[in-house]
Amino acid sequence: MAHFDETPLYEARNIGKSYGSVIALSDVSLKIHAGEVIGLVGDNGAGKSTLVKILSGVYQPDKGQLLVDGVEHSWKSPHDAMEAGVETLYQDSGLAPDLSIGSNVFLGRERMRPGILGKLGFLDQKFMEVEARKDLEKVGITIPASKRNVSQLSGGQRQAVAIGRAVAWARKVILLDEPTNHLGARQSNEVLGVIKAAKERGLGVVFISHTLPHVLQVTDRIVVLRLGRVVKDAPTSEFNAESLLGTITGLSGSRVEEDETEAIA
Amino acid sequence: MSTKVAESTTSVGNASPEKVPTLLSRLLGNQQFLLLIAFIVLVAFFTTRNSVFLSNGEFANIFADFASLILLGVAETYVIATGGIDLSVGATSGFAGVVAAFAMRSMHGSEAVVLIVGFLVCIAIGALVGVVNGVLMNYAGLVPFVATLVTLGAAGGMSIVLTGGAPIGNDPNAIATTVSIIGPFSWPVLVVIAITIISGLYLHASRFGKYTFSIGSNEFASRAAGINVKSHLMKVYVLSGVLSGITGMFFYLRLGSGAPTSGAGAELSAIAAVVIGGAQLSGGSARLSGTTLGALILTTVTSGLIIMNVQPNWNQVAVAILIAIAAGFQTLRPSKRKK
Ligand SMILES: Nc1ncnc2c1ncn2[C@@H]1O[C@H](COP(=O)(O)OP(=O)(O)OP(=O)(O)O)[C@@H](O)[C@H]1O
Ligand SMILES: [Mg+2]
Repeated sequence: MAHFDETPLYEARNIGKSYGSVIALSDVSLKIHAGEVIGLVGDNGAGKSTLVKILSGVYQPDKGQLLVDGVEHSWKSPHDAMEAGVETLYQDSGLAPDLSIGSNVFLGRERMRPGILGKLGFLDQKFMEVEARKDLEKVGITIPASKRNVSQLSGGQRQAVAIGRAVAWARKVILLDEPTNHLGARQSNEVLGVIKAAKERGLGVVFISHTLPHVLQVTDRIVVLRLGRVVKDAPTSEFNAESLLGTITGLSGSRVEEDETEAIA
Repeated sequence: MSTKVAESTTSVGNASPEKVPTLLSRLLGNQQFLLLIAFIVLVAFFTTRNSVFLSNGEFANIFADFASLILLGVAETYVIATGGIDLSVGATSGFAGVVAAFAMRSMHGSEAVVLIVGFLVCIAIGALVGVVNGVLMNYAGLVPFVATLVTLGAAGGMSIVLTGGAPIGNDPNAIATTVSIIGPFSWPVLVVIAITIISGLYLHASRFGKYTFSIGSNEFASRAAGINVKSHLMKVYVLSGVLSGITGMFFYLRLGSGAPTSGAGAELSAIAAVVIGGAQLSGGSARLSGTTLGALILTTVTSGLIIMNVQPNWNQVAVAILIAIAAGFQTLRPSKRKK
């Protein structure tokens, strides 16, 4: 379990973000400690993906601060966040389907050929294909052949490659936006295993999912977003399936909601 | 724990066991190979019609035509690989040739120095148009089709305005330097072939090429992977402009003057070469070898029809038919991609 008096690995303070007239986030704060899994939950459109994209440098927040190890940072691009050790799995595909698995794993971080050819800009494609395979195996994902194009993989296999890439590169924090999307029951359980392994490595993990039993099973702390605001941020032990659903929908205690909870659990 | 996960995901991977394709089915599924066959058949066909076709002189002509087309094809291959289109390549080549012709006409020096200056001016003009395209897309938010339509009009119009419609300069010495040196190849043709080979290596084996394809395949994923998409697109459109500028110099060397209309419509042939070569217009997938074969086939058909005394207007119909056949092949082949 994390020590909460320590400086968080990554912290967001009072983040605000609007898309034109739509206020996606207002005054959202979040702390991610080493070895801690945070569940980020909320209804469709609650602002989860927007928060992830701010944490990963895709968007700049309108308000608020981002702190890595207690030091304020502002990302000009996702590249800056990656440099700082923050890796992300995006809900909308983050892979280039026409590129090979190996090229995708190394996208933006290519290995160049040694010597003059590398200086001239040529890639060590073979190294990347071999290394990508090893990287993915290390996090428990075995792929048919890393030379294959991602477009030739099934939805679940693509998802596995995207997760593997994020986990393989992460040095501090890993943001997983609905990683169990497209996955069958067994593969979803494997993803939960990957999350636990990342936690054991001392990474901070943000896990977004609509499958509440998964969230309750794997997280240390749950942050509930509703209409762009944090409505609850508490240790997972303080929730059960019913109270979590009630917090998400804001209809706690009603009879209707209890039935829903049972249906989901 | 990792072993347990590994085991079960392995089975995900093996769910679709890989079939080993036969050599024949591999070749038939390979657009490059089919294009090569088509090219050989066309050459054989035109030769049986008129034996002049296989002569040195005619080959020199075909290669000169090919050389005026392929650099625009290379430019268009890079641009189309990013999911864009550059309509300005033809007009830019004419404009660059005109401006270079003005510069060269005002010079008094050895032919070599004059031509080198001409090349540099062409490259600079081409790069300038590329920068304008990049700025219109990155900062004014225009889509590539519109941005390059703007520069197509501007470059084409300026060429006419500057020249009053007449060719600039009269430089038979420039033409004289292009006598063949190795068989049917003149030095400009060799330069063009060298540029084409280097461009192919860069497109398919370098980081620059990788980003070109990744942006065309998934722009968001490229940005999320830390690639500076705007700056890369700027470079690709500048490259396209520079190749167009060099083509303008090539026109000058063939005519001995800078003619304002020399590149007019050339963008369509260049795009046709790329499409025949098997590229996806939506981006992410293209092969420079395919474009090269596409350009060779286009110029072979054009020259062949001339030799057979077919009325030149049929040319465009022939090109249209080639595009239709190539596009048909792409839809017939088992799709390798789903987006
Ligand atoms: N690019 C965008 N432009 C405009 N509005 C957007 C954009 N992206 C998201 N929004 C809006 O911002 C709000 C939050 O969206 P977001 O994608 O962050 O929700 P989410 O919690 O991830 O939802 P889901 O569970 O469906 O993935 C929504 O109202 C959405 O319509
Ligand atoms: Mg979302």
